[in-house]
Amino acid sequence: MNPEALVRPELDIGVPHGDLLLVFAETIIGTDRAALDAARAALVDALGPEAIAGASAIAGNFTKNDRVANGLGIPVGPPVLQGTEELREQLGLNAYKSAENTFRHM
Amino acid sequence: MSLYEDSALPVRADLEAAHQAQFDRFGQTGTWGSGAQRIAVISAARQAGIDAGVLEAPEDGGATSDVELPKVVRDIIAKVAVSPKDVDLDFYDAAIGSGLSDAEYTEIVGLVSFITNLDVFARGIGVPLRPLPEPQPGEPSRVRPPEAVQEQAFVPTIPNPPEGGEVAKAMYGPFKPYIMRAMSLVPEEFNDHIALERAQYLPLEKIMDFEFNHHDGLTRPQAEVVAGRVSALNDCFY
Repeated sequence: MNPEALVRPELDIGVPHGDLLLVFAETIIGTDRAALDAARAALVDALGPEAIAGASAIAGNFTKNDRVANGLGIPVGPPVLQGTEELREQLGLNAYKSAENTFRHM
Repeated sequence: MSLYEDSALPVRADLEAAHQAQFDRFGQTGTWGSGAQRIAVISAARQAGIDAGVLEAPEDGGATSDVELPKVVRDIIAKVAVSPKDVDLDFYDAAIGSGLSDAEYTEIVGLVSFITNLDVFARGIGVPLRPLPEPQPGEPSRVRPPEAVQEQAFVPTIPNPPEGGEVAKAMYGPFKPYIMRAMSLVPEEFNDHIALERAQYLPLEKIMDFEFNHHDGLTRPQAEVVAGRVSALNDCFY
């Protein structure tokens, strides 16, 4: 998987039908309902109808976790932090406001 | 009628059961909020999403609540529901300075996070948002776990074993990452968080098994694409 495509979805993420999954993830939490409906239909064609509940469950779950993490201000632990320095820089994650929940403890 | 009986797309039975259990929990008395207060919080969170255009108002939204929420609670709901990336320590400190307790804050963040999750799921599979349950009578227990201490989150949490003692062992087993422990100041909400995580992401004991596929039709890398993109759009550093 090319993680850079998570923040730059025009890149190839290197996962089968990853382009469709990126669009589905964006539209399920976006404002364009017609785009979501189109993304869902494309996913059904590519992965089958049973994949939609799974993709929606994952999107919902991380919608939850992002709110729990940012809302309660939890930091990333040192082991994860030390192993992801290059990736965080590459993806621009250090610029997120929520990064302060980790950096204020360093 | 089961929760997703009207869905044209299949939903796993255990996933549907977990969501039904959470909808039932919304209306029950919580640790700090009454059933009516919890439904008021959830209704306001859903309305914030509708107002922001990321949810569609259902024809049948279910139960409502006549509880008038204080401004500090309305502010938390609005921010966490629609713009979680803008929550910071100053915002939390201001909420606590307004008279809310850290445990009440935790329960509110949990409720908003859980209803947003379920509403996003409904939108994803193409069904209307599910009706909210009737609030149930009862008094909140207001039990605060004495094992919770200030670690590094905004709110106190129960540490992993051995620091968290026997309670931590019972709740976590040998270890839980911070994202799973984050709501431990309110153990009932912690339990709901874990139950949803197991059904919607994967059983936590499988988290390092990258060959394990929890969702029909989706490989683990495909699931991680959705997870990673959603978190990137929410500016979630964690």
